[in-house]
Amino acid sequence: MELWQLLEYAAWGISALLGLYMVADWLKTDTTYSEEVLTSSREGELEALTEEHRT
Amino acid sequence: MARYKAPVQSKASQIFDVIFLVVLTLGALFVPLKMGLSGAAKTVAEPVANPTWESLGQTPAQAAQYEALGYDPASAHDLILARFDYSFTAGALIAMIVVIVAYYVLMLKFSETEYREVIAEKFDGK
Amino acid sequence: MANTDITSKTMDGMGPHGTVVGLLRVLGPAHVWALGVGIVLVGEYMGWNFAVGKGGAYAALIACWFAGILYTCVAMIDSEVTSTVAAAGGQYTQAKHIVGPLMAFNVGLYLTFAYTMLEAANAITAGYLIYVVSTMTGYAGELDQRPFIILVIMFLAWLNYRGVLATLTFNLVITAIAFVAILVLFLSTSGILGGGIMQHAALMEGHELPYGWIGVLAAMHFGLWYYLGIEGTTQAAEEVRSPARALPFGTLAGIMTLLIAATLTWYVCSGVLPWEFLGDGVNGSVAPLFDTARLSGSNALVWLLGIGTLFATLASANGCINDASRAWFAMGRDKYLPGWFGAVHPKFRTPYRSIIFLVPIALIFALGAPLDQVITFSILSGLLEYTFMPLNVILFRKKWPLNTIKRGYEHPFHPLPALVLLCLCGITFFAVFLGYGTQLIAMIGFYIVVSLWFHFWRYRFVNRGTQFTMPWPKPQGY
Repeated sequence: MELWQLLEYAAWGISALLGLYMVADWLKTDTTYSEEVLTSSREGELEALTEEHRT
Repeated sequence: MARYKAPVQSKASQIFDVIFLVVLTLGALFVPLKMGLSGAAKTVAEPVANPTWESLGQTPAQAAQYEALGYDPASAHDLILARFDYSFTAGALIAMIVVIVAYYVLMLKFSETEYREVIAEKFDGK
Repeated sequence: MANTDITSKTMDGMGPHGTVVGLLRVLGPAHVWALGVGIVLVGEYMGWNFAVGKGGAYAALIACWFAGILYTCVAMIDSEVTSTVAAAGGQYTQAKHIVGPLMAFNVGLYLTFAYTMLEAANAITAGYLIYVVSTMTGYAGELDQRPFIILVIMFLAWLNYRGVLATLTFNLVITAIAFVAILVLFLSTSGILGGGIMQHAALMEGHELPYGWIGVLAAMHFGLWYYLGIEGTTQAAEEVRSPARALPFGTLAGIMTLLIAATLTWYVCSGVLPWEFLGDGVNGSVAPLFDTARLSGSNALVWLLGIGTLFATLASANGCINDASRAWFAMGRDKYLPGWFGAVHPKFRTPYRSIIFLVPIALIFALGAPLDQVITFSILSGLLEYTFMPLNVILFRKKWPLNTIKRGYEHPFHPLPALVLLCLCGITFFAVFLGYGTQLIAMIGFYIVVSLWFHFWRYRFVNRGTQFTMPWPKPQGY
């Protein structure tokens, strides 16, 4: 059956597309936003808030 | 107590650290594999010539299931007779216990020193 | 700042301490259940049957239940600690607050490895399954499994990249289908509905314990596979709407689901498949539930269990990508790893760099190593982690007794679960030692080298006091 051969190519193709999308979006994001914004996440934000509520 | 100020790591150093970790990981995985030390291979200790279901130790009920799965006595021979070898030496066992215990002791000891520093800075440093 | 509502749409994931983009708090208890069970359920579809090969069918059942006790302890301990330490990174963050930085670094690596290896194992299985379908539909050529293995990893990485809510909702649906498939198979083959095809006594005659009792110990090695990964629920802590409630609930519901699924799976498979075939997951039964369905004579069951197997592998790989990337991200955020990994995507709110970085790693394992080796490395990393948990909870109760901080869930009979867990881990170490001793030593050698590297080099980039982020009082004894 030819179908499985086609599926093989389709799998290669879709994998490549998804990979390309991620890499493209990654590069776009990294150049659009500053490093400070991107890595601004801090652990325990919610906890920090409740702590301030208490005091 | 003075607050510890971490240095900013350069880009090159960051990349080097990642490569170091990846290489080490792949090493731990593939070195035993490539050296053929990965053990746990099953072997057929006593092959049976011209096997039948009876000589392979299978009851009719068991043989019926094998046939339903598409096996005959010849093709099922290795699958049925292969066994693990669980023999080990006391030396190897002791070596393993020592390595595991040493690992956890080492880790807990270093962690404790680092942890005291963290607590001191967090609760007394301000 | 007292009026900041962190759960509001505009402030979601943004806090007063400088977080401009953080992870999104959108998940409920059902997602936690889906994450936990989704990762593990594949263990019922493949892999657990190596335990049968290690000691026979009865040994696998004993291992199933003892591993069930082990994981019940894990789930209880984990629920208590995580209901107070609600941050991405799960056990990593727990270790950082309770035991110390080096332990945390090791735990973070255990998590990343256990999940990335499991992801690779899932992709291998999915590829194999598609191969089987191709032969069943009469494809004459030899199907190349590689593009399908790569596609599985790429597609799920993409899904994870695009956002956590869609990822775990997807998981919820396919996990539920895979679980129902096991129930249907049990009901329709056990004789409850229609004629039963179970013949446990006849199939085990003369092969009750082929290796004797040492086989039962050896079976514990793969007995873990019935449940491995349930502890991953904690990785979602930073994305759950109310962690103190949802995490214990989702985790404990998850372990109950798995205990049922594991026992049913054993019952169904060992009642139909001869143990030598069932126990050889490489040359014999790669997907035992699927093989059971094949022998049932019902085409509908074959399709259902085929789909169930595929969904289970996808759900598991999906959850693994989610968990491994959260652990890696959390370590990057604290500079335990290069800080570059601590980035959050401003639009999708996912740790996108960690997700991308782990894709090629998973691909190397999936395309380059045999299945049982990959599973063993995953189990070993898990085992090291479970050995850490009792130490963790004993120290937690000692440093912060029950009355000092409020817990969302308190596990009963402390320290009994911790001690039971420690004993079972010891037994499992011995089981791994029988046959996989070299890998065990290689793995621990790796962790020792990495620990020294962390202590003497990497730790200099970590700020000391600021990594302790929980609003807890000072621990007792310091």
